[in-house]
Amino acid sequence: MITILKPGMQMSIQDQGRVGSRHLGIGQSGCVDPYAQIITNRLVGNPDNHPVIEITLGLAEIQFDNDYYIALHGTDMKASVNGNAVQPGWSFYIKKGDILKLNAARHGFRNYLAIGGDWHLPTAILDSYSTDIAAGFGGLHGHALKAGDRFDITPKYATKIGLGAMLPPKSTHIRILAGPHASILPDNTCDKFTEHSWHISPSSNRMGARLLSDECKLAHSLSLPSMAVMPGSIQLPPNGEPIVLLNDAQTTGGYPIIGTVIEADLRHFAQLKPGDFLHFEFVSLEQAHLAQQKLVAHLNQLAIALKYKNAKS
Amino acid sequence: MASTQRPQITALTTHCIFFDVYESGQDVLETQKKIWALAQLCQNSGDFIDVVPANNNLTLYLKESSLLAKWQSSLLSHWHEIKSNDFTSTHHKLATVYGGDYGPDISAVAKYHNLTIDDVAQMHSSATYHVLFLGFQPGFAYLAGLNPQLYTPRHEKPRIHVPKGAVAIGGEQTGVYPEDSPGGWQIIGHTDFKLFDINAQTPCAIAPGDTLEFVIQEVLK
Repeated sequence: MITILKPGMQMSIQDQGRVGSRHLGIGQSGCVDPYAQIITNRLVGNPDNHPVIEITLGLAEIQFDNDYYIALHGTDMKASVNGNAVQPGWSFYIKKGDILKLNAARHGFRNYLAIGGDWHLPTAILDSYSTDIAAGFGGLHGHALKAGDRFDITPKYATKIGLGAMLPPKSTHIRILAGPHASILPDNTCDKFTEHSWHISPSSNRMGARLLSDECKLAHSLSLPSMAVMPGSIQLPPNGEPIVLLNDAQTTGGYPIIGTVIEADLRHFAQLKPGDFLHFEFVSLEQAHLAQQKLVAHLNQLAIALKYKNAKS
Repeated sequence: MASTQRPQITALTTHCIFFDVYESGQDVLETQKKIWALAQLCQNSGDFIDVVPANNNLTLYLKESSLLAKWQSSLLSHWHEIKSNDFTSTHHKLATVYGGDYGPDISAVAKYHNLTIDDVAQMHSSATYHVLFLGFQPGFAYLAGLNPQLYTPRHEKPRIHVPKGAVAIGGEQTGVYPEDSPGGWQIIGHTDFKLFDINAQTPCAIAPGDTLEFVIQEVLK
């Protein structure tokens, strides 16, 4: 059993999300950084698409009522167990009664907590345990975790040594692909978008990262027929403040699309917090494909390394 | 506005194609019938994770990026060959109570058009509606077919709470709220028909391209 004592700013159960039902208005949900989720799961011997707890900002506490093998990854939240510091990116044993405490993240925004074993959650919905916070289903009770929430986990001790793994490097340089509306947006909208730097608005959340700029004005009066949108779509509402849609985004929208964040760079939004600066660059489909291959190679290397380590232990 | 050739086929990502045939002034429903047929063809191919129709356009999410070139080049010929009647759909009947506490805005809607409450219920329930596409929230259907005599502006200030099952008119559209949510449409009635039930085997009762009608259960004054 684990018990949430303090959820912090936001804490929710997520896996890789829900696909196959977008045409019914059912969004993807899932971890904003699916690579951190996979790597953290691997450190505790869970399958790649096993659910994890996504923790936003920190200031959270979780109590464990059994011995578990756990790992935290994403950003440094100065985590501690009974006052002893624990390293992000390493798996470790936690004993019955221990309390994991997280302070506020300073250089990032989200952490992923993997706990080795079988999680006893309500039945998966459309093949996913992800919490759809806006629609109110999935996860534990269809909402973000709150103080007092608890669920059972049958522990599994995959290995007898602590394992560490690096995440692919983070970046504030976001590569994007051209969208379908470049020719109908007012003059040079797309060029202006990439020439200026932007910062993350405090009203951002898992639905979208809202972007602000003091010098760049992109207001327009276009109204377009609805089209499908997805995590990574960069919408431009008439007020000219772009929104990078994230995992809890709706499935259709009627704002023009400036472009789409390449799949390999979407994970960076997991660590961008309000006030952080970022900038964008248009790239080709080939470049997007290569960036993706690089991430897959990172995961493949890790799989080989873990196999070797576990064979030795 | 620069003119763009139709159909417009754009690779949005290495795994995603946007197919757009929207042109202002064209018959939205006739074009949409072909969009549904194309969606069904794509779905049946087994090459896609998701196939999402919206307003006279279709977004395709591929299982493998290696399939991108094949579909980018073949979509156009599929579009020219496909017939709007290649598509099969289901018809749904939604028993609806109009007016009273269930339709707090029906008298305002009637007044706006110089009609009686019975007229509004009669006109709203005598049309066959097409589910153009779903979006906004799970199970929310964008319907075509509202009688132009019932076009009514949205509330200037949206209600904080619109109950699940509310039947409403917003501008040129009508629809049913699948879940409790905020909303700015004029609420004229209520249906118990479950558009969305996450615990059901098929969570969403209606699909893009289906037809539906509202059947008067009662008109309350």
